[in-house]
Amino acid sequence: MSTDPVRTTVVGERATSAPSALAAIGVAKSYGALSVLADLDFSVGPGEVLAVLGPSGCGKSTLLRVLAGLEPPDRGRVEIGGQPVRGPSPDRPMVVQGATLFPWLSLRANLEWGPKALGNQQSGAIVDELLEATGLSGSADLLPRQLSGGMRQRAAIAQVLANQPPLLLLDEPFGALDAQTRLRMQEWLIGLLAERPTATVLVTHDVEEALLLGHRLLRLSHRPATVLEELALDLPSPRGRSTLSDSRFVQLKADVLARVLDA
Amino acid sequence: MALREVQGDAGLDLGDVLGPSGEIATRRRLTGWRRVAVGLAFPAILLTIWSVASATGLLSDRLFPAPADLARTARDFVVAPKRLPVPGVIPFKGAAVEHIRASVGRWGVGYAIAVCVGLPLGLGLGLSRWMAAAVDPLFHAIRSVPITAWLPIALVWFGLGNGAARFLVFIGAVSPIVVATADSTARVPRQLVDTARMLGTRPRDLARRVYLPSALPGIVTGLRLGLTLGWTSAIVAELTGQSSGLGAMMNAAREVTRLDQIVVGMATFAVIGLTGDLLVRAIARPFVRWADA
Repeated sequence: MSTDPVRTTVVGERATSAPSALAAIGVAKSYGALSVLADLDFSVGPGEVLAVLGPSGCGKSTLLRVLAGLEPPDRGRVEIGGQPVRGPSPDRPMVVQGATLFPWLSLRANLEWGPKALGNQQSGAIVDELLEATGLSGSADLLPRQLSGGMRQRAAIAQVLANQPPLLLLDEPFGALDAQTRLRMQEWLIGLLAERPTATVLVTHDVEEALLLGHRLLRLSHRPATVLEELALDLPSPRGRSTLSDSRFVQLKADVLARVLDA
Repeated sequence: MALREVQGDAGLDLGDVLGPSGEIATRRRLTGWRRVAVGLAFPAILLTIWSVASATGLLSDRLFPAPADLARTARDFVVAPKRLPVPGVIPFKGAAVEHIRASVGRWGVGYAIAVCVGLPLGLGLGLSRWMAAAVDPLFHAIRSVPITAWLPIALVWFGLGNGAARFLVFIGAVSPIVVATADSTARVPRQLVDTARMLGTRPRDLARRVYLPSALPGIVTGLRLGLTLGWTSAIVAELTGQSSGLGAMMNAAREVTRLDQIVVGMATFAVIGLTGDLLVRAIARPFVRWADA
């Protein structure tokens, strides 16, 4: 089920013991003569957060679009629970940087969109719970533009979680926020994913974010993207702002950063 | 890196350069009763100048009727007792309701057809590259034919009657509706469509649930432009071969050189056009308020 990583520096327990929620097998993608992804192999276990770290413009966003089924790979395939991906599905929603909320709908209506589209009768209860978990209960009747950037980003993640997907795809979800807000969002996401374990692929160019949120790290090369390194991140939990000063975290961050800069 | 920091600092300092109140931003916005007062005062001043100029003979009443005369004519148009209809004569006194009803009726029917055709056509052009590639060149070529140039063919096709007028209204109103709908549909952010699909929205529901509401502010602009152009077209159509309507009345007034009646017709035209626009804006407002700046 799970595929062998190209190069494994440290073999994480999650990577080997659990059946994979998602498997990318020899995925390649190019736009005309521009090769963006070159034979990527990796997998994500159920409830595992895979942080994909790569330089800007290396094809991380393309990778997520392929995983989401928004674009087909040229070669190779993506499997979710053993089934090949064909087209987008509420089972693996993607949240990108900047709001993806529907600007003409209230926050509550935005969160109810998914459950209603799938004919889920209990949308009200799910949405209430998510509003609570995102600290947005008091803003449920506001329009997206009346929310702050951080609130919008939390809402966008809550919106796709309302369908209770087994897999979540995050494309630099906090990239547009200021440093303090970003740290709060990261802590919030850590708590949220701890409460409702959801296999997650988090794409980022921020080493700190990758190490803080990821259970496992996948470091990609410049374009065309290949896997340079795969690393289990067994830092003590719960992670949060205190993790940033943890000596192992500091050492790891310095090591990874050095390899990123040398790459 | 250093350069970026310098730029960042410069950006922060801008507020200080401008002073605490920010001189550049001190132009106060005109709102509420002030705005209404200014909007009423300016026409009032013009009216006064006009009255004085007419009274002193500065403005010839052969070319420019005095406000007082116009007021009298307007009153006659609305409330004077109706005379017995004379065949072949287009009535003026007491005929306001009759003419307005005729013009607005042609306008309404033609505009309704334009909306029913223009919205789906615009959505199709905005959604389908194939359709846009096939239809766009032809559509824009036809669209560039002015409304007056459609009048002869409309008369041949529909004869002298409501049909030609409705057709002309349709032609005038449909193109801004199509252009605005196609353009704003094509500009709907791909991210919104992707999000809707990833939330489980069926592809066939995307037009109704995502494209239409997202494009609505632009579509409303097209609907408003179409309404005004349709109204213009109704009057153009009535200048030829109609026995009722504001255009027919104005044309009859021209034949007997009743300048006051022509101007009253123009004013009626303006008031109704404005009312229609305000109506469409009021109806659309709750649906597009989310896009207000």
